[in-house]
Amino acid sequence: MSKFAFNSISDALLMQSLNGQNHGLYVWSVLAIVFFTLLITFLVYRYKLKKVSKKIK
Amino acid sequence: MIKNFIHQFASPKTYLFQVTRAYPYIFVISILIYTISIFWGLFLTPEDFVQGNSYRIIYLHVPASFISQALYGGMAIASAIFLIWKVKLSAYLVKSIAPIGAITTFIALISGSIWGIPTWGTWWAWDARIVSTLILFIMYLGLISLHDSFANYEKADKFLAVLVLVGSVNIPIIKMSVEWWSTLHQSASITISDKPTIDPSMLYPLFGSMIGFTGIVVCLVILSSKLHIFIREKNKSWIKKYV
Repeated sequence: MSKFAFNSISDALLMQSLNGQNHGLYVWSVLAIVFFTLLITFLVYRYKLKKVSKKIK
Repeated sequence: MIKNFIHQFASPKTYLFQVTRAYPYIFVISILIYTISIFWGLFLTPEDFVQGNSYRIIYLHVPASFISQALYGGMAIASAIFLIWKVKLSAYLVKSIAPIGAITTFIALISGSIWGIPTWGTWWAWDARIVSTLILFIMYLGLISLHDSFANYEKADKFLAVLVLVGSVNIPIIKMSVEWWSTLHQSASITISDKPTIDPSMLYPLFGSMIGFTGIVVCLVILSSKLHIFIREKNKSWIKKYV
């Protein structure tokens, strides 16, 4: 866990593999999809809960 | 004895008070574990010899995939409890888990498709594992629509519970699809009976991301079930006091 797999931030963004292909686009897009899906889900539920709570009150 | 235990601890009121208390702790701990594990997996683990850096998607795809099936398992258990012991909270949980299951299955499908481009050369294949996961996603959507289509909640709960139990046959099919059929999807790297085929340096962050993601999903299920309890119990005096 001690050593970074990349030498610089641009290397980490590109994620060039041994075969010369850049895999950064795939990895970062999946991370973005997971992050935004979870974030939107949390926000939607919090909004709905507030709305229903107001109605009950 | 089991019936008494379930009825005592599974009233919507007790559940709501307990989960509200536990929610902030689960949320903070899960976010911490997930963030550390994802950072570890994306930046500190070595590159895979065969798949290159694209294998790092494993830290996002596998937890979602695992949870999407586990949630259906949870729904099946809750459905059985509802049908056998008529526990109201179980029916609420079945309905609350379904949208979260659909979201995690969506993440599993999308992340798998993106991972497939550099690894298989295609984003989609009519492969047993992928198709059975797509069926799981459609089942989740179908169960949500079915419940919403009923005007009578009690009838909807019963139909939903029976259908969830019938549909649970898909879970072992998803699990075993890579063994039963020749598939593009690789076979399981982590099994209960055998030693993992992944190097420990890659395995530990994977376990961390699975634990963290599970906690985050538990938080979503708590929010979803809270919402469902609010809607179903809105006329009860205790819910007015709670809100």
